[in-house]
Parts: sequence; structure tokens; C-alpha cells
Amino acid sequence: MKAKAKKTTLEGAAKWTFAVCAAFSVFAVFAIVFFILYRSIPAFQKIGVFEFLFGETWAPHWEDKVLEGKTEYASIFGVSNIVQTSLIVTAGAAVLGGLIGVFTAVFTAYYCPKKLKGFFEQTVNLLSGIPSIIVGFFGVTVLVPIVEKLSPQGEGMGMLSAVLVLAIMITPTIASLSKNSLEAVPKEYLEGALGLGATKDQAVFSVLLPAAKSGIFSSLILGIGRAVGETMAVSFVIGGASGKAPDSFFKPVGSLTTTIAGELGEASFGSVHLSALTAIGFILLLFVLAINLVLTLVKRGGNREKTGWFAKLFRRKKLKETNASGKHSYRRGGAVQTALRFVSYFFAALVVFTILYLIVDIVVKGLPYISAHFLFGATKGANVTISAGLVTTLMVVGMTLLISLPLGIGGAIYLNEYAKKDSKFVKVVRLFIDTLSGVPSIVFGLFGMIFFCQICALGYSVLAGSFTMVLIVLPTIIRSTEESLKEVPQSVREGALALGASKVRTIFTVVLPSAIPGIITSIVLSVGRIVGESAALIYTSGAVVEMPTGYLSQGSTLSVFMYYFQCEGLHMNEMYATATVLIAIVLALNILIALLDRAFKKKTNGKDKKKV
Amino acid sequence: MKEIEKFTFEQGVAIEVKGMDLYYGNFQALKKIEMTMPEKQVTAMIGPSGCGKSTLLKSLNRMNDLVEGCRVEGSIKIGGVEIYEKNTDLTMLRKNVGMVFQRPNPFAMSVYDNIAYGPRTFGIKKRAELDEIVETSLKNAAMWEELKDRLHKSALSLSGGQQQRLCIARALAVQPQILLMDEPTSALDPISTGKIEELCGELKKSVTIVMVTHNMQQAARISDKTAFFLLGEMVEMGDTERIFSMPKDKRTEDYITGRFG
Repeated sequence: MKAKAKKTTLEGAAKWTFAVCAAFSVFAVFAIVFFILYRSIPAFQKIGVFEFLFGETWAPHWEDKVLEGKTEYASIFGVSNIVQTSLIVTAGAAVLGGLIGVFTAVFTAYYCPKKLKGFFEQTVNLLSGIPSIIVGFFGVTVLVPIVEKLSPQGEGMGMLSAVLVLAIMITPTIASLSKNSLEAVPKEYLEGALGLGATKDQAVFSVLLPAAKSGIFSSLILGIGRAVGETMAVSFVIGGASGKAPDSFFKPVGSLTTTIAGELGEASFGSVHLSALTAIGFILLLFVLAINLVLTLVKRGGNREKTGWFAKLFRRKKLKETNASGKHSYRRGGAVQTALRFVSYFFAALVVFTILYLIVDIVVKGLPYISAHFLFGATKGANVTISAGLVTTLMVVGMTLLISLPLGIGGAIYLNEYAKKDSKFVKVVRLFIDTLSGVPSIVFGLFGMIFFCQICALGYSVLAGSFTMVLIVLPTIIRSTEESLKEVPQSVREGALALGASKVRTIFTVVLPSAIPGIITSIVLSVGRIVGESAALIYTSGAVVEMPTGYLSQGSTLSVFMYYFQCEGLHMNEMYATATVLIAIVLALNILIALLDRAFKKKTNGKDKKKV
Repeated sequence: MKEIEKFTFEQGVAIEVKGMDLYYGNFQALKKIEMTMPEKQVTAMIGPSGCGKSTLLKSLNRMNDLVEGCRVEGSIKIGGVEIYEKNTDLTMLRKNVGMVFQRPNPFAMSVYDNIAYGPRTFGIKKRAELDEIVETSLKNAAMWEELKDRLHKSALSLSGGQQQRLCIARALAVQPQILLMDEPTSALDPISTGKIEELCGELKKSVTIVMVTHNMQQAARISDKTAFFLLGEMVEMGDTERIFSMPKDKRTEDYITGRFG
């Protein structure tokens, strides 16, 4: 009896542990919202909510000057121009990235020759894996000079460059998600349209594309979410002039994210400035939450009947019965759709050209500067090496995975093995996981700085950076683990349980081993995310070139090195070389994922064959 | 833009298939098919699964082109025109040779837009003209009364039987001369099946119908000519009444008396 009691408590404890892991995302989102709001309150109090939101001037540096005079907080914090800049830039990127992304998706799904399809999809994937700091670097070295030539005043930094860079960032997201929903359109639609005499182009653009519209719409919203929160890529090219009115595409301005990233380092602890920057983070958070809400609504609406309020607006009167003559003149059409097909060729080629140009340009310029000394030697004075960056990257990857893997896998186990399907708890947890994955990395950075560095008193440290990264990679790990848990057949579980194995034992000995492919994939994806991250790390683990002495010292990952070099402005060659190393890592991870994917697919196929 | 021309049928012959072979890669799915389908009649093709009857049907408006590795040899003439010539105008062919598929495949649009899709594809933009076509097509498919108040509802909200008849109306909206039906009732309940059979009887006054069916009673009920297929060969073709009462070939007899298949 005693032994049995012990066993049930173990079972219960395991269940609760898994539940806590699952609920962790909910705590995390609440903590982020709470602490960012909490630290924003002083700004709202001292500046005034109305002045803060609608004030046009953003002049944080007046503080020092006026301090000698009368008022204490004479600096002016109005975010109206900054918000407008973010909105304009995001809208521009959504239009440009949306057009390119959707047409690229159409090309991939319907026109890409079979032999090229794998290569083409890999290329688009690769683009989505390129760290934003590298896209920013590409922007400042390649795009800004082009924009300068277009600009009447010869200024390249500004909203146009920001739009271009953001379009590069969000195109792969939109392209690959839209492609998925296009490929999910039943084949019968194509047959039906062709059977009526429509050309393939007509079928694609007037039947298949509209049929996938809710999926495409979701992908656009996701793209917009990324664009609003994108930080480093934009901060390279927007000019860093926060508070300037966004009245021209060709002059330096500042967006929500770039203002935070640019000024967080200089705002002193406890100042109104810091609180105002946190309040900007809060605005950003609100935007992202709103976008998430819309996305949830769209997804829910997508399952319902297609004709909603939108169709009702255009609802026409009933047809009157007519005297049918039955004589109609049927003519050949479809010129427009054929033109659209060529547009899709053009955009697809543009995407491939951009990615190849980006990689080749950086690698050709960076490769000559890579040497054993640059990679592994010690930094001496102005002779900077990136060995500290490599070490820090490894440290952050190790610590982040050490924490996030158990948390994520535990959460996934609860969601898939314990929770009732579609229970309230599961729905809430899913919603928060989605929300967490949509939070911009600069907001994570802000939260990490407030919570881990200040409240937990870790200071700028590799440990604080790793904790912050845990929050960023957690949704990925939960999702892909859950996906592969779902694929484990129920009969396997029943087999173990029928032998008398406990639920926990069944999970650890039978279910989890079958889910290893998904877990490995999630590890590789997480490593990619950590290697590419910069905005969340600059203000949590620091931007320094020194070798970290331990988890409590400052240290910079390779991506943050790029940021450091950019700020110093003296290390062009080192930047190209570091970017080359980063690209090599991303490329290697991409190839690894493709290989894993193939290996696991082969394995399962083999299994199936044996069964038969 | 020039109006799309129609096929001209001579001596009551709509379709003429001669010495036709069809291959999927190395596999020969149809062997030396010889058959003639008369104008404004219902021709039924029967036979067990995998005998090639659907394949033949899909060759008649070249929907087989979508299948990779599909190759056709021999001759298929519609109104005397060879449709497997290199320069065949697929738009003209498929406009005049409409198709209704095994599973209803309405597009994710309203009822109205589904039917107007074909005419719009062929350059008809005028509201009044489209209204007229939609109405006529629905009337011809005997669904006007059912649907006239729901024209702007999603076609996906209709029942399976209604969806299939909507697909027939959609096909009729481009005024085809021939209508190919690939087991049009196999996914439907008996009442919907009855409605579609009735409809075929009406439609053959103006349109030539070629139908593949699994259901021998259906062939017996509605077709004028019946062709029996087995293992990629056309075993026998003739007046429906004769095929079902006095089949010449032993294999036909075995099949229709239910000894296999």
C-alpha cells in the first residue's frame, strides 16, 4: 500500500511539474506586460499621458541643460512623430513585402519548375534565417547608397531605406506562409477552373488565390507584426533621429524600436528618459497584442462561412427574372492574369537575386579578413578579434537550452499528454505562447534589463542575456515538440500502458523517444535564433569586446559584436568578416535542418514499409 | 477580341475516337479504343474500377494534360477536329466540352460568382448579361427556385447534392456543346442522384452528354448508348437497351449480371 501511495504522489508531482512548465508562458507574458507597464508609470505621471502620446517633440537631452535652471524634467518626451514613423514604415513594408511575398508564393506553388522548387524554397528559408543585424548591415552598405541616388537631397538614411530593409525581413515569412495556404487549396479547384476553359493563369489568379485569401491575410498580419517589432535592421538605416517629423522618405527619423535601441544605453537608471523609453516599449507591446488579437480573429473567421460582413457590404439586390435571350458572345480573355504571371516571375527572381547578392557581397568582402587569429586570437587594443564573441555565443546557447529545453518539453508534454483537448487551459496557454512568440525582441531586451539585470540584480551579464533568450526560444521549442508528440500514434501509448507501465514511465520511455526528431529540429531552430539575436542581448548581456570571465560577467555574442563595430564605426573589415562568420553559421544550420528533415522522413518511411 | 468558335457536328456525330492508346509513363491505361458518340444523346461508360473509363473521359477535353507522364496516341476527333494536335486551342476545347467532376468542386465564392466565373473568364463583364446567364443556367440545372434568394451566399454552404448541381449550372453557363460527367452522383445521396438523372434527361435536348458511372442501373435508366470497359479495353458498345438485354460479349454479360466487378 505504501509503495502504491508513493507512486501516485510521484505521478501527481510529475503532472503538476508539467502543468507549471506549460503555464510558464502565461506567467512570462504577464510578467513582461506588468513590469514594462510598471516602469512606464513614472513617465506617464511626470510627462502626462496626453503630452506623451500626442506631443510631437522628443528631446531627451534637454534634461541636463535645464537642470541648472528651474524645472527638473524639462526634457520633452512626445512620441507622436515616433509612432507615426513606425506606422508609415510598417505600412510601406507591408505593402512592398506583401506584394513580393504573395507573388513569390504564387510562383513557388504554381509556376516553379519542379527541379528548381527545392532550391528556391531553401533560398527563401535562408533569407528568413539571416540575422536582422546583417540585413541592416546590407542595408547601410548597399541599399542606402542606392537610395541616396534617388533622393533629391542626396540623403539615403530614412524611411525609404527602412521600408526596403523591412521588406527584405518580412518577405520570406509572408512567402512561405502564403505558399503553404496556396498549396492547401484543393486540387479540384484547379481542375474545375480548367474544365471550364480557363487558362492556368486565370485559374491561379481568379480562383486559387482568392480561395487561399484567409491564409494569405494571416501571413500578412504576421509580417506586419514582425515589421512593427523589427529593431536592428531598421536602426542601421533609419538615421537615428528620433522625434523628427516623418514628412519625407529621405530624411533621418526614428521609429519606436530604434528609439529604444538607440537611447537605452544613455538613459540613466531611474530617469524619466528611461521610463519614457519603457513606455515606448509598452506602446509597442500594445501594437503587437492588437495584431495578435486580429490574427486570432482572422483564423477563427477563416473556418466559418466565407461571406461575412465584407460581402454583405456589397450584397446586391435579388435578380429579377428576365427574358433570357440565350445569345452571348464568349471571347478569349486572360491577358491580365498572364501579365500577373510575369510579375510573379519577376518578384521571385528579385528575391533570389537579393539573397544571393547579400551573401556574395558580404562573403567576398569578409573572407579575406578571416584568419585563425581573427577567430580565436585575443583582442589587443585596436586589434579586435571575435574569439570573445564565439565563446559568449556558445555560453548563451548552452545556458539558454539548458533552461528552455526542460521547460519547453515539459510544457509540450502537458499540452499533448495530460490536458484535455481544447480545454480552456490549453486554449489560454496556446494564445499566450503565440503572444510570446510575437513579442518584439527589443521588448524582451527591455524586460530582461528591467527584470533580470535590475530587479534580480544580475547586472549586465551573460546569465541575464541567457535568461532573456529563454523567453524568446521557448515558443519554438514547445511548438515543435508538441507537433512531434502529436505524430506519435496512440497505439504506442496504449501498448506501454497495457503492460502496466505508469503514465510518466510511458511518456519518458516510449513517447518522448519517438518525438526526438521534433526536439532536435527545435534545438537547431533555437540555436539559429540565439545566434542571430542582437536587440534582446545588447542591454542584458552587454556590448563589449572583452572575453567573459563567467556567467556573471558581461559578454557579447557575434551578432552583438556587429552592433558594437557599427557603433564604433571604425571596423568595416571586421564587420564584413563577422557577418561572413554569421552567414556561415546560419547556412550550416539551414543545411543541418534540411538534412535532419530528410533523415527523419526516410526513417519513418522505412518504418511504414516494414509494417506493410 | 474574337468570339470563341464552336464545333460543327456532321451527320449527328459528336466525338470520334480511333485507335487510341493512352500511357501513364510505361503503363498502358487504354488500348486501341474505337468509339463514336452521337450528338445530343447520353453515352454511358461502365466497367469495374481501374478499367480506364475515367481516363478516357478526361482525354476528351484533355484534362489528362494535368497528369504527369500521360501520353496519348491515335486519334480523337470532336466535330471532325483532331484535339490532340499540337496547336489545339485548349480554351476553345474546354469551353465547348464542359466537365462535371466526381466530387462537387464549387469554388470558395458565392453561388452567383461561381456561375459567373466562366462567362467572366470569357470576357463577359456586363452586369445585366451576367445576371441573365446566372438565371438561365440555374433554371437549366433546375435549381433557380431553390437558390434565387441565396445567390450571394457562399457556395460551400450548400449541401453536397446542391453543390454538384451548382457545378452543372456552372458548366452550362459557358454554353458547352458537350458535357462530360465523371461519376457525378457517386458522392451523393439517392434523392440528389435522382435529381441529377432527371436533369440529364432534360439537358440532352441541347447538349451531348458523356457519362462515366459505376452504377449500372443509372446507365440503364438514363443513357442512350452504353460502352463497357475492362482492363483498358473497350469490350462492347451499343444501344443501352441492347447491351443490357442481349450483350454480345461474354465479359459484358458477366459484368452486367453481377458475376464480377
